[in-house]
Amino acid sequence: MALNVLICDDSLLARNQLKKSLPADFDATIVTASNGLEALTVLQTQDIGLVFLDLTMPELDGVGVLEAIKAQALDCLVIVVSADIQPQMQQRVMELGALAFIQKPASADKLAAVLHKYGLI
Amino acid sequence: MTALHFTEEQRDCLQELVNVAMGQASDKLARYLATMVHLQVPAIKLVDTQQLPQHFAQRYQQQSVSLISMGFFGDQGLRGEAIMLYQLANVDVLARLLEYSDDDSSEAEMLTDISSVLTTTFLNGLAEQLDNSFSYAAPRILSSRDQHFADKLAATAQQWQLALQVDIRYQLTDYSFHCDMILLIPGEAVLRLRQMLDQILASF
Repeated sequence: MALNVLICDDSLLARNQLKKSLPADFDATIVTASNGLEALTVLQTQDIGLVFLDLTMPELDGVGVLEAIKAQALDCLVIVVSADIQPQMQQRVMELGALAFIQKPASADKLAAVLHKYGLI
Repeated sequence: MTALHFTEEQRDCLQELVNVAMGQASDKLARYLATMVHLQVPAIKLVDTQQLPQHFAQRYQQQSVSLISMGFFGDQGLRGEAIMLYQLANVDVLARLLEYSDDDSSEAEMLTDISSVLTTTFLNGLAEQLDNSFSYAAPRILSSRDQHFADKLAATAQQWQLALQVDIRYQLTDYSFHCDMILLIPGEAVLRLRQMLDQILASF
């Protein structure tokens, strides 16, 4: 059964890049959001199993989304995909419950490695 | 007025490349200053260079600003000049963080050092994503405390047709400091850049 996956990034290029870089054997139904507020709406109304989450976004940033997921006890895995590679930021998102951190730009190799590591493929 | 412009797809693509490059530069700055840098969404726009001095004069009204410039040269005609603008009111914070003395020559050295770190890291990150590579001229100070920066910016900007204005704010989490970056690029380099962006877009 396909996993419902949300890709949240304010950049169309980044969303397309990530979508195209997912492994061919990753059975997923993809939905997208272009900022944190849109992402929360999707998470509150759809059964999403996995989120690929950017951090630097307008309206509500990725840290805000992680905080909301935690506060509302939303049941989903989150993989952060971000250009904000500072160690303190990586530590912060992991403390907020992110499963993994992938440095942008997301490549097929990086995605496959993380999905494999956590048994998602 | 030039007819050069970016489509919405090209602008989005360039903004994402800038975002990734900015992340790398921020990480370097954070390590350099031993603090954390708060990243904001970078705003980019292509503007006529004649409008630049007025724009920044308004933004930095009644504030002393220092300008540091660095030329860059890439493959396939991609070249330009990167300018960093610093509010001098914030420079003391940096000097304390980096333990520079507070005389003018030390201030100049400090701003040149930071500009070199930020500009080369940012541009290397951009070049890598464009499958290009840049070489750099030595950074130089265009204006200091005693000079009016808008005049200096006007004199430099008039050598170029277009400016890719990249509003990058490097805001430190623990301290009040930010600076702006402007990339000045000639018209033919904008055309090359558009072709490169189209190639990236076509691959996704």
